Amino acid sequence: MNNSVIARAFPAFAIGFALFYAPAYSFTGGNSTFSWPLFTYFPSVGDYGEFHWLLVPGSDTLGPPMWWYGWIGSSIIAGLIVAAISLVLPEKATMKIWSTAVWVAPILAFIFLLDYEMFWFVPGWMPITSFLSGGGAG
Amino acid sequence: MATFLLILHGICALLLIGAVSHQALGVFWPRRPGQTDFVANARGIRPQIYVVPIMILFVTTFVLGAAIYPVYRVYVRPPLEDLRVLYGIGLFEIKENFAAIVLASLPAYWYFWKRTSDYPTTRAALTAIVFVTVWYNFIAGHILNNLRGFG
Repeated sequence: MNNSVIARAFPAFAIGFALFYAPAYSFTGGNSTFSWPLFTYFPSVGDYGEFHWLLVPGSDTLGPPMWWYGWIGSSIIAGLIVAAISLVLPEKATMKIWSTAVWVAPILAFIFLLDYEMFWFVPGWMPITSFLSGGGAG
Repeated sequence: MATFLLILHGICALLLIGAVSHQALGVFWPRRPGQTDFVANARGIRPQIYVVPIMILFVTTFVLGAAIYPVYRVYVRPPLEDLRVLYGIGLFEIKENFAAIVLASLPAYWYFWKRTSDYPTTRAALTAIVFVTVWYNFIAGHILNNLRGFG
């Protein structure tokens, strides 16, 4: 597979990443049933912290959890899956769609995330999609 | 060490601000023939030459930010929570999320700037997204550092 073929999948990767990352951040909580982050990092443990696979909530022994690295990890996998799918679709028929979705998807993700993050600024804020799951912060 | 990396993170962000601002001016407010004043010269650039420097600076700034993030999580955020300075945490949450999404968009940004002359709307939109994100993150980072730096 040459470089130009791989480059054709870049827009799809960005779309898959953004569309996974936004709900991953928004729906991750200590009691989430689905593990959105690929791993959890506990920076307070030892000199260099400690990694655990999948979602692990914070505790008195492990300290505060960091899920951000894990969300990026799982979003990369989601992006790669969408990128792989894009490569088996006909380029001429789909490039117009990818070229639009590649900037619409991040904007939608930003709006989705902002809706969830408003609770930091507005006490009692309820996100539009809060019925789907609890809020996240890590 | 964390303070040194934070300063380096800020310097890279400053260079990145310059690059994305020049590129955005070149895309959205290009210099017209005959304009020779200072602002026109800032606008009279070829936007495509900023693509690779922007990518390198963004990735460098991102990696430095990711490296010092644990210090924030352990030493900066808990006091902000205790003091109920929640808007500071919110500013940072938006910053980290926007940064991650734009990082993943960089290969596509490169593709539409360097590999094809089609899709000018896509090029402009991606440039605007990078521009807004970098400026927001720069300002939010400064506000947060003013609220409570590493010390």
